[in-house]
Amino acid sequence: MTTEAISKPFPARSVLATLAPKVAIVLLIAALFAVPRFVESTYALHMMILIFINIIVGSSWNILGGYTGQYSVGHSAYFGVGAYTVMMLLQFRQIAPWWGIWAGSLAALMVAVIIGSICFRLRGPYFVLASIAVAEIFRVTALNLKNVTNGAEGILVTEIPPLVIGGRVITDWFSKVPFYYVGLVFALLIVGVTWSVKKSKLGYYFQAIREDQDAAHSLGINLTFYKNVALGISAVFTALAGGLYGTYVGFIDPSTVLPLDLSVQIVMICIIGGIGTISGPVIGALVLVPLSEVLRSNMLTEWLIKAGVVNAESPIGLFMKEHLSQAHMLIYGVLVVIVILYMPRGILGFVSRFTTRRAGA
Amino acid sequence: MEIFIQSLISGILIGGVYALIGIGLTIIFGVMRVINFAHGDLLMLGMYATFYLFTAGKIDPFVSILITIPMMFLVGALLQKYLINRILGALPQNQILLTIGLGLVMSNSIMLAFTSDYKILTTTYSSSSFNVFGISVSTPLAISFSITAAITIALYWFLLRTDTGQAIRATAQDREAAQLMGINVKRMSIIAFGLGAALAGTAGALISPTYYIFPQVGSTFTLKAFVITVLGGMGSIVGATLGGVLIGVAESVGGVYLGSGWKEVIVFVLFLLVLLFKPSGLFGKSSA
Amino acid sequence: MAILEIRHVSKFFGGLAANSDVSFDVPEGRIMGLIGPNGAGKTTLFNCMTGYYPPSRGEVIFDGRRMNGLKPDRVCKLGMARTWQKVRPLTNLPVLDNVMVGALCRTSSIRRARAMAHEQLRVVRLDHKASLLAGALPIGERKRLEVARVLATQPKLLLFDEVMGGLNPAESEEIIQLILEIRRTGVTQVVIEHDMKSIMRLSDRIVVLSSGEKLAEGSPREIVENPEVIEAYLGAEQ
Repeated sequence: MTTEAISKPFPARSVLATLAPKVAIVLLIAALFAVPRFVESTYALHMMILIFINIIVGSSWNILGGYTGQYSVGHSAYFGVGAYTVMMLLQFRQIAPWWGIWAGSLAALMVAVIIGSICFRLRGPYFVLASIAVAEIFRVTALNLKNVTNGAEGILVTEIPPLVIGGRVITDWFSKVPFYYVGLVFALLIVGVTWSVKKSKLGYYFQAIREDQDAAHSLGINLTFYKNVALGISAVFTALAGGLYGTYVGFIDPSTVLPLDLSVQIVMICIIGGIGTISGPVIGALVLVPLSEVLRSNMLTEWLIKAGVVNAESPIGLFMKEHLSQAHMLIYGVLVVIVILYMPRGILGFVSRFTTRRAGA
Repeated sequence: MEIFIQSLISGILIGGVYALIGIGLTIIFGVMRVINFAHGDLLMLGMYATFYLFTAGKIDPFVSILITIPMMFLVGALLQKYLINRILGALPQNQILLTIGLGLVMSNSIMLAFTSDYKILTTTYSSSSFNVFGISVSTPLAISFSITAAITIALYWFLLRTDTGQAIRATAQDREAAQLMGINVKRMSIIAFGLGAALAGTAGALISPTYYIFPQVGSTFTLKAFVITVLGGMGSIVGATLGGVLIGVAESVGGVYLGSGWKEVIVFVLFLLVLLFKPSGLFGKSSA
Repeated sequence: MAILEIRHVSKFFGGLAANSDVSFDVPEGRIMGLIGPNGAGKTTLFNCMTGYYPPSRGEVIFDGRRMNGLKPDRVCKLGMARTWQKVRPLTNLPVLDNVMVGALCRTSSIRRARAMAHEQLRVVRLDHKASLLAGALPIGERKRLEVARVLATQPKLLLFDEVMGGLNPAESEEIIQLILEIRRTGVTQVVIEHDMKSIMRLSDRIVVLSSGEKLAEGSPREIVENPEVIEAYLGAEQ
């Protein structure tokens, strides 16, 4: 903190205080790696994989939107580019996804630089609109270029070649476990990248741009360059997530990997968790994925009926049983409204308001 | 050549309706500097209202706008008063997200209530047309255009000649100055949003005889509305009017020569070009 | 030796001439006062000099180099830095980080930037608030923060745009001492200010602008006795 504190010798207690969180993180990561050994439920693994994908796209967006302040509501473009590159190379050229994903990232990077140099001269809401327009152009193009992308029919991948290293078959991709590990590694990677960016010159410059673009400019920061760096990092990781999603689910089409809804959901992950923080997107993913699932699978209705709150035969009960699973976008919308009105800084921001008040600051 | 003129005429006719959508959005932006992403969904509400007034109430769509206009005005006013008003000072990004959320709520509520089946409103004259100098003109489109023209004229009169109208224009030009002059800017915002919603709902009512009606129809129109207002200049009603017609023509003519799948792309590419080279649009003032 | 030469600079916005044929030199290591009524074109001139927008006509020569058309980040790297009329802190970042952003202009090492930032904060006597968020500072300290931040970019020429605006006499005196301190380090300064007493104490030379044109130039004594200046500016002064 201040220069005074540094000159005093470290008391033993504060050494423990700084080490404890780091040890906790290492233990957590080790535990995450160990999960597939002890957890057999494919459903649980599926949930974790979805959470990982959400963490990846959320954290990637966070670098551009949360730290650099450039709200792109068109990130589905990079997700889609990643997904389509990997799937097209796999299905039409039999190129394994672990090579395809490099191509996907590269493609997303090139797209990002082009989009960036066009759109970054726009400010605030105009940038948002441009990002939406660009993503829509991609979606409609994917729909129309039937010879290349199969148009609305999408691309279905039936077989992923087994991963062979040094003559040994590591996995044949039949179970969910290999996807879990890939997801975990990518998620750890993006969180690690976010952390190291935040501590570096990039992090300081990104946040300066977010806080006051003109002031940042006058302090020697090349706005276009740094915005493009943020976008590039963001796009590459979003594309990785897209590639993972495609190979995991086995099917993509323009309405699943390129729609505006997806872009909105990506933004929501950060807004709900806490924009511009490292753990915000993680929290957002941990909240949104289970919530989505609970709605989609009618779990909520069953619980309410079991708890006796709702009579299964009543009109409300029947309505809920039939329709609530489709209501998840509606709940999503309500969530967006509530969060923007009452918790614009997300869950983390909300919580920190209580903690700082307690500390008497 | 005939095909060109044909598509030109259709473009102008539909462009009139587009202009209504654009004018509504530009009034909202002009007065409140809010980018209303739920605008297309307001249009969708107008469509559904018109549909049910027709099927259940047997009221002709072009007549039922007398009901739809005040109803949508009320919806807009309430939305503004209780929701939008609270984020007037927030970051534009948050404003957009809020309106996106509202749009999601609107379209998904309608989906839950009425299913996502495509509905078609067929009147006796839905597919009829008449001939003008050898060009076939669609009857419902022609009627919409006339009504649009009438509404636009009424709107110009309202904004130029009435006290409230002039107060709205003053607020749009300079909110602080208007407040200093004693104008109740909060009330102006409510009226502006109400107007914008009413215009969007009316546009929906007018195109309901010629378009498929389904809950997600709003989103294409929202994006189109933005292109129109950016093209014309955010906050400029004249700009939105011209922008609407231009987009209508570009879409129509482009659709004929490039195929209907690509005509959306034309609109977006136009959008990006305008954003890049003249973001203030044809008639716009400099924005925040 | 003139570190900055303004040669026939004009700036038009539509039909309005915000600056009209302004020329003067800023001698190296000195403090130049830039005064004039509101709307005289002082901030516009600063904006032209720092690349916020290019002059419509004329040239800005800094350290022998033509600056027209260079972007603000380039200008800062070359050694010309400015503060803002309406102070612009990076609100959600800590005070230290604010100054580090300035220091990172000269180094890529976070450690060195941090050390440099602490040093500048000590100069403006804000080091004890290093970990507070910039948004929590009152206006006087925000101005000092902005000075620290801009000093961290190690400028050769520092432009102050009404840095004493909105400050009480004690705070203004602190800024005056800072400016004199900076002069001792050899950095050239151009100061826009409305408070005539401060300008008289600080400036080696003064340029007077009015309605976009240069009205007069000279030593503080000459300016104060210039009848045109008295009429156009000092008479209208609050």
